[in-house]
Amino acid sequence: MSDGRDRAAGQRGAVLTSAATVRFVPVGLSGHCNNRAISAADDTRSGQFNVWGNSYPAAHLPDPGSRVQVAGVPFDFPARGPGGDNARCCGQLITLPPDHYDWLHLLTAAERRAEDTVALHFEDGDVDFETLRVSDFWAAPARFGERSAFATTQMHYPHHVQAGLSALIWSQRVPVTRYQRLTAIRLPRNIAIHVFALTLQSAWAEAEA
Amino acid sequence: MTATPLTAQGQLRAVLAGEPPELWYRDPVSCLQSTLAAALRRAGHDPLEVLGAHWEFRFLPGDVRPEEFYYPCAVTGDLAGSLAPHHPVSSRWHYPPDPGRSGPEQSLRGIAAAITFGQLVIAAVDNFYLPFRPAFGDVHAAHLIAVYGIDLAADQVLVSDAMPPAFAGPITVADFLRAWSSANPPDPQDVFFSDTRIGRRFMTVTAGEPFPRLDAPMLRRILAANLAGFSGEDASDQAGWTGLPGLKLYLMSLLDACARPDPAQLASAYPLGWGMQAQASLHAELLRRWGTQAGLPELREAARLVETAAHAWTGLRMTAAHGRGDPRACAGELARHAAGLRRSYELALAGLQDAIGAL
Repeated sequence: MSDGRDRAAGQRGAVLTSAATVRFVPVGLSGHCNNRAISAADDTRSGQFNVWGNSYPAAHLPDPGSRVQVAGVPFDFPARGPGGDNARCCGQLITLPPDHYDWLHLLTAAERRAEDTVALHFEDGDVDFETLRVSDFWAAPARFGERSAFATTQMHYPHHVQAGLSALIWSQRVPVTRYQRLTAIRLPRNIAIHVFALTLQSAWAEAEA
Repeated sequence: MTATPLTAQGQLRAVLAGEPPELWYRDPVSCLQSTLAAALRRAGHDPLEVLGAHWEFRFLPGDVRPEEFYYPCAVTGDLAGSLAPHHPVSSRWHYPPDPGRSGPEQSLRGIAAAITFGQLVIAAVDNFYLPFRPAFGDVHAAHLIAVYGIDLAADQVLVSDAMPPAFAGPITVADFLRAWSSANPPDPQDVFFSDTRIGRRFMTVTAGEPFPRLDAPMLRRILAANLAGFSGEDASDQAGWTGLPGLKLYLMSLLDACARPDPAQLASAYPLGWGMQAQASLHAELLRRWGTQAGLPELREAARLVETAAHAWTGLRMTAAHGRGDPRACAGELARHAAGLRRSYELALAGLQDAIGAL
């Protein structure tokens, strides 16, 4: 059993530095939306988040196109465009304002738990692969330590509104470890994963900027 | 099991003593694991220890059925014994003695008799007829619920269902009989779990003695046995396509189904994959718990690798499910997920090998 290997190493206390400048850049996804996951109660058939045709009740979510804050991170909640209200991940390449970023923040949900690869493209041609981990949207706990961004108290079925069943949207993040300018990301090729909003965060100390 | 519990007025009545069954649920599991867990808990056993011990891959060609509780049984008809071969548990389906002649009440006597013997009954039902299911009046689907009481005089069948939205309590006898007797007709809203007759089936679970408590030596033996199962040289034995070679064969067969094309074969990945995903996920949870309690980082790392393999089923299942309408079009994506799933298994098995050394 335990021989002490698992004991945390001794720590000498955290080091506090001056506050870094934290900057958030919400990224529009409307051009990449290819799925309608949110429906009105009188039009539940219009939503098709999963293979059963379930969808999120619009009345339980922020207004389309509104800016929302989730644990201090601003997101642009999707407008209802012709392509839908979210990007069901099929490898969409999303061009970003080139800059140094530390985190991708995503409002996301999955049809069952899912883990898959996001490609991070940098200005000099380098590409890093990071993992996006997303918990189930269906009345499930956060398996990957995400924050619950929105939890409805109803679920829409194609032919009815189901009370007492929660549909979830998670706030998840993906690290950008390379100290280079990020120019684009490619979403996973995994249609179980849906992305509703994307915000970039940079938190460079002034001396590094 | 011949006792027929009747009230003084001659009405059928049998209710399990004690609290209603535990609503045991994890988001990757189906009604199969949740109802078996309720039965195990009632017998005084830890569902995670029992249902999370075994990990395998198994595919029985031609066997996949559109039921939420489908699992490819190594022991024909014994779902519990197939899911938990490291423990002395087994299950048995009970069918109406004469399906053509026996009426519903006669069939209910079988359930009542089992309850009288102290057994939690697991009944097959069609969600379409269950008022507490989201699919009520909407979608046909073969499902399992626990039954812990029947009281005809009170017009009640006491049922519990841990799958969201969880429910425990009475439903009317008529509702239960409709769900239990359903033909579960083909339903385009649910091609994965409809079109299979419910047939007034119910299942009972037996836990034998002595029932082992998991300890480090037993866990080591279990992991070694699981690893041996994955490395089986004969991937196409009588027990189906098994182990890592069997997984590779199965994934190739799915890609062949894209090329033929064969939408039904693609659709079968959904129910088969649910069983595989649920089992891998519970195995990972058990290893994570043990690794945490015992302070074994190697075990926790192996747990995470097994969990990753569980999650890798999602992409495969959903790509096959959504792509079944045009199998050729989804061939590329399915091949990518198949390769990822295979890699995730290989990494997990290597992690388990390391974990055995640390136990």
